[in-house]
Amino acid sequence: MLRGVSKRISEIKFAFMSPEEIRKISAIKVITADTYDDDGFPIDMGLMDSHLGVIEPGLRCKTCKCRVDECSGHFGHIDLAMPVIHVGYVKDITRLLRASCKACGRVLLTRERTQEYRALMAEMENFGGDTQDKFELTKVTAKDASSTPICHYCGTQQGKVTIDKPTTFREDGHKLTPKEIRERLERIPDEDLLPMGINPKNARPEWMILTALLVPPVTVRPSITLQSGDRSEDDLTHKLVDVLRINQRLRENRDAGAPQLIVEDLWELLQYHITTYYDNQTSGIPPARHRSGRPLKTLVQRLKGKEGRFRSNLSGKRVNFSSRTVISPDPLMSINELGVPRTAARELTIPLRVNNLNIDMARRLVTRGPEPPDTSRGYIPGVNYVIRSDARRIKVTPRNKSLIAMNLEPGYIVERQLQAGDIVLFNRQPSLHRMSMMAHQVQVMEGKTFRFNLSVCPPYNADFDGDEMNLHVLQSEEARVEARILMRVQEHILSPRFGGPVIGAIHDHITGAFIMTYKNYSFNRFDALQIISRIDIKVLPEADGTKDGEEYWYGRTLMSLALPADLNMSFEASICQNCDTCEFENCKHDAYVVVRNGKILQGAVDEKAIGAFKGKILDKMARDYGPDAARVFLGIATKLSIGAIMVMGFTTGIDDEDIPEMAKLQISEKLKKARETVEALVISYRDGTLEQMPGRSLEETLEVETMKELGKARDTAGQIAGKHQGMENSAVIMARCGARGSMLNLSQMAGCIGQQAVRGERISRGYWGRTLPHFVKEDLGAEAKGFVKSCYKSGLNPTEYFFHSMGGREGLVDTAVRTSRSGYMQRRLINALEDLKVTADGTVRNTAQCIIQFKYGEDNIDPTRSSGDSGVDINDALMEVLGDKYWEFLTKQNSKGGDQ
Amino acid sequence: MAQNSATVSDLMKVPGVSKGSASELHKVGWTPETLEKCSFADLTDALTSKRAENIFAAMGRDAGVEEKPKAKAAKATTPATASKSNKTAVKEVGSSKKATVKKAEKPKKTTTKAATKTTTKAATKTTTKAATKTTTKTTTKAATKTTTKTTTKAATKTTTKTTTKAATKAKGKAKKDASVDDEVKVFVEPRDIGPDVTYTPEEEKMLDFVIKMGLKFSPQLVKSLTEKITPLGLTQKEKGMVINHVSNQYKKHTIDPNESCGIVAAQSIGEPGTQMTMRTFHYAGVAEINVTLGLPRLIEIVDARRVPSTPMMEVYLDKKTRGNVDKVRKIASQIEFTILQGIADIETDITNMRILVHPKRAKMKVKNLKMAELEEILLAIKAKKFKGIKEGVRKEGDVFIFEVDEPSFKKLQKLSDQVRAHQIKGLTNIKRAIIRKTSDEHVIYTEGSNLGGVLDIEEVDKTRTSSNSIMEVYEVLGVEAARNSIIKEAKNTLDEQGLAVDIRHIMLVADIMTNDGDVKAIGRHGISGRKSSVLARAAFEITSTHLLRAAVMGEKDTLNGVAENIIVGQPVTVGTGAVNLIYTPKKNAPKKKKDAEE
Repeated sequence: MLRGVSKRISEIKFAFMSPEEIRKISAIKVITADTYDDDGFPIDMGLMDSHLGVIEPGLRCKTCKCRVDECSGHFGHIDLAMPVIHVGYVKDITRLLRASCKACGRVLLTRERTQEYRALMAEMENFGGDTQDKFELTKVTAKDASSTPICHYCGTQQGKVTIDKPTTFREDGHKLTPKEIRERLERIPDEDLLPMGINPKNARPEWMILTALLVPPVTVRPSITLQSGDRSEDDLTHKLVDVLRINQRLRENRDAGAPQLIVEDLWELLQYHITTYYDNQTSGIPPARHRSGRPLKTLVQRLKGKEGRFRSNLSGKRVNFSSRTVISPDPLMSINELGVPRTAARELTIPLRVNNLNIDMARRLVTRGPEPPDTSRGYIPGVNYVIRSDARRIKVTPRNKSLIAMNLEPGYIVERQLQAGDIVLFNRQPSLHRMSMMAHQVQVMEGKTFRFNLSVCPPYNADFDGDEMNLHVLQSEEARVEARILMRVQEHILSPRFGGPVIGAIHDHITGAFIMTYKNYSFNRFDALQIISRIDIKVLPEADGTKDGEEYWYGRTLMSLALPADLNMSFEASICQNCDTCEFENCKHDAYVVVRNGKILQGAVDEKAIGAFKGKILDKMARDYGPDAARVFLGIATKLSIGAIMVMGFTTGIDDEDIPEMAKLQISEKLKKARETVEALVISYRDGTLEQMPGRSLEETLEVETMKELGKARDTAGQIAGKHQGMENSAVIMARCGARGSMLNLSQMAGCIGQQAVRGERISRGYWGRTLPHFVKEDLGAEAKGFVKSCYKSGLNPTEYFFHSMGGREGLVDTAVRTSRSGYMQRRLINALEDLKVTADGTVRNTAQCIIQFKYGEDNIDPTRSSGDSGVDINDALMEVLGDKYWEFLTKQNSKGGDQ
Repeated sequence: MAQNSATVSDLMKVPGVSKGSASELHKVGWTPETLEKCSFADLTDALTSKRAENIFAAMGRDAGVEEKPKAKAAKATTPATASKSNKTAVKEVGSSKKATVKKAEKPKKTTTKAATKTTTKAATKTTTKAATKTTTKTTTKAATKTTTKTTTKAATKTTTKTTTKAATKAKGKAKKDASVDDEVKVFVEPRDIGPDVTYTPEEEKMLDFVIKMGLKFSPQLVKSLTEKITPLGLTQKEKGMVINHVSNQYKKHTIDPNESCGIVAAQSIGEPGTQMTMRTFHYAGVAEINVTLGLPRLIEIVDARRVPSTPMMEVYLDKKTRGNVDKVRKIASQIEFTILQGIADIETDITNMRILVHPKRAKMKVKNLKMAELEEILLAIKAKKFKGIKEGVRKEGDVFIFEVDEPSFKKLQKLSDQVRAHQIKGLTNIKRAIIRKTSDEHVIYTEGSNLGGVLDIEEVDKTRTSSNSIMEVYEVLGVEAARNSIIKEAKNTLDEQGLAVDIRHIMLVADIMTNDGDVKAIGRHGISGRKSSVLARAAFEITSTHLLRAAVMGEKDTLNGVAENIIVGQPVTVGTGAVNLIYTPKKNAPKKKKDAEE
């Protein structure tokens, strides 16, 4: 193993290979088209010759004498009987031919112009022009040159060069053989090449015509042994076999003096084979096919596309030391912990370098062996492998563990199993933002799933309906340190997208917090102790009062245990109904949260306080008290709210959607009226009395009006239903406090579902002139076009059900299409912006050191840390500095009735 | 700051200075001394070029000579243009200055379309940036304001592209000495933000306070501070404490160096993409006009599409016209594109080989078109415009007659089509114009976009009118306006879907799209196709061509970016990879070892 390599690759240079170079680096000249002989051994001078590498265990490579694992293969070459054009360079060859003189080979421009272009190229370098710019310039030069009819240096008349797809060149109609082209290109002098965009040091143009073909090593095109015992050759090998065969025939025929036609034919065939060897998807020629009819996968196909080398093996690879399982929730862990199943922990290892300071500890570890039994403290990690100084891996078994432990020396590497507290990366795909991959601390547990705290679900966008997630164990010390400092979950509480928290209380946490702090709910001693027992506190706070001889504690006192003693905040809760005149502290709905000196004085704690995207308290904790304090706060707050909900109980059932008979009658009245209005509209449309809206046709006006009417009807129905559902209704509680759902859901369950829409319009497709055969043709009424007047509780009738499913289907299709389109957009954005970074002088630059922004975001503020657009929250600053004085001022201002 | 002790009359004493010039100069605080020392460029900043020329001529100074220090900045752009137009470019810069000066303008560098695409881009990339200064935070409205104000006069018909990254150059507003232009300052004094940021007297007081404390705050911060602090009536000490606290917060909130802001921005915009609707049509704001919303719109913006699928314009009118419904209606009908078919019945008279046009009074009334106007337009049609027409149009009673010169059905048909589509009124592309009344004014919303034409109309308020087609904004108002338009459109699209994205991410995307002086798409035809690394391009799209061409040109890939380092397997150059850790072992260590062995 090459451990301790500290060299960096600094640059990669691309160039051509000349035929001489090819012959020089080749290990062997391949002549025969046969691969293996009858015994199964590779034939000499054949394509699978041992000089080119070995794929079978047991054989040794003849060039480097290594075995299968170590030999990475060697190149060979084929001497072509006649030169052949390289298909990838056809355009460049045309350019050169058109721009150079056919007799003397010089470029078809006057000396001055050549100088000018050369100077332009050089200037481009100075001004940071990139390849694309230079290429454009060469095109311009070439065009200029090709328009000259007579050479300036030798006076020969030029012909017109055309291409026949894909590799045939014609000049003035008569075909140019590759040999002639090669000769022409050879004549072009070096100094004329620069303005044409070719660097003569790396690439002489005549090398674009191949005389020697490089044969890739055997390891690049290995053969597979099928179950039946036959060997199946790789596609590239097949192609090379073709090339070799034709090459042989060509050589024989040419040497034997066959007629010109046959030689040319064979030459063309050779050209075809070599073209498809490079790129089987060249336009204009039929792709080479397997015997089965499937097109071959040759060199270009191996590289490009999503499954090609670049995207699938280089930019992203499969890695070792990773694991993947189903996830399940665990509310008792801290947000940055991760429950890892034992089986996984025993398999994944962390390398530990032995030196004289830890050699005793290492010996003890190795003595444990691979499966140490649990101690009083539970699971303990063992050791799977030990790597010696000579890079040999030794598997540690119960039998040899003591021997290995004895022979341990500094410089060895002990691969120990995962233990509690190790830092690992946890990730869920699709990884859309950087919070999809965060560092957690390991907790080894029984069971087969990964477990983590619920509050961490939103950034991963994970739910527990069978999702799987990946784990990566970091191998180097540097990586682990970076992960611990930069990537831990608490560092990511605030999102760079909008500067607010993405990790926070969800669903039941919010419900629990709400019901325990709403309208001064109080707990008796027993319940209060139940709730507090979940967090790390030993002393019950003072009781808030006595009633009937029993002490009671308000829910908000218990919740305040999570807050630091110097916290001062006030804000509106989620349940705020936005009444016209806000009463602020005197809010009767308990919707104004006031925190003074770490105690919640009033108001209900819900989504706006501790929720995942909107939690203000959470926001302030993460900003002012640091990530660790926020993590602890979140842990305590969620545990308290879960404790409260367990004590108080919370449930929902179908009777939550019950509304009194009278209300139902009212709703059906309203809907009936709406239906009649729509009928009237339709009639007026048919009569022609409908008033046309400016700029819209009559049909459109009708549709708009109808949609408006029906929308109003649904809203009214929802309101009627809502009037009869107060805060005793669990569904309402959840909708109001922001835990889950909205009032729309409730109105659809109890009131009326409303108009179904496809593409923003009422349902219109289906049968000719009508949506379903249950309706009359040309029926434009409410029901016929998708208005569902039933609610979910009462159930839908068949036509309504059908329309509802149409609308639902559109939603599903929308989601499916959306993910791929947005994914592509994100990929492009990432690709374009990935090199930008904020340099030490505050500017944003790309790799070419060009300045993109003089100051990041025009004011150098990190979006993660900014609060609001100006970067600083002034209200907060005033509160901090002035404290009570500002508080008084605000109350005075509020009581005057003005808005803040 | 220049002394205001010099009076207008003092300034008038300088030869060549007229009363008007003197009052202008006095307003910006010039003294006779400054006049003597200033450069021509500074003077043109403060006055119109004609006046500046007069003054210089009278003073006996050569306007052309003074061009040199400014021309240093201008020269930076000119070598970029193709060698042939080298000399012409300088002249153009000079001439453009003359053409586009209004009171106290920023200097602009114009690069005409004629210059070869390749080289100008290369130049503007590196050098204009060197010559310009930091742009402090100006709200997008302000920025659009500036660009529209200055460039409409110059740019309407000629499609010159103006690159005005100089929003905050130390103004030749002569609060400083003229010689300052030679030295490029990177940090801008808080006061010299620009002519479009105005402070109220209270804000000025706050600004003074802040400057006295030695702090540099952005104008927006100063304004919000004033807003929040003044009603409190704090003592100086308390004010100082609050401002200190704010300043500390500000420092805490700054971004760390080596932060890979690009990827974060791309993720922050791409991730909410999965939550956006694909449903494109919606009645946005105006009930009658459909605008593309959501993800398709965002993709359009990012792709820098030439024509958006639903182009739309918001036309605001100036103070005089905006309250008056009738006037507004008149303008609306003026810009709405009407073809003959919309207002008349067109009949093909086969027997007589002619086309009869019967204008319909009702439709004409709707479009606010009078018979006389129509007559004028139709009779003015000359034979050469319409092929095959015989000696122009005739009018018989209420019917207009178009005759074909040859008795050919095909020609008749062609003529009929041409007549139908003949433009009567309005600007091309404007399909419909709708008037909406907001609280205190009438606004015209158009379906279809023709920014150039609309801005030409007198009554239009050029500082607020906008189009949602970014390429149009680019062609009419220049690249800076296009940048702001990208930011505005993207932010609107995201906000409309209810997604909160910090504007700095969108700004970064807009900046990288417009970095080279024109609007480039994100994708292999734009930004990604121009990366300097072969491997990065090959890994993105069209692998083979890139690799091959790289070999031909002998390209070197210096492994500076993210993608290529991943391919090669090295730590990346952004973030932690940009920093090298060096460990210096303690000197005591070997000694300890010796002790242990002993």
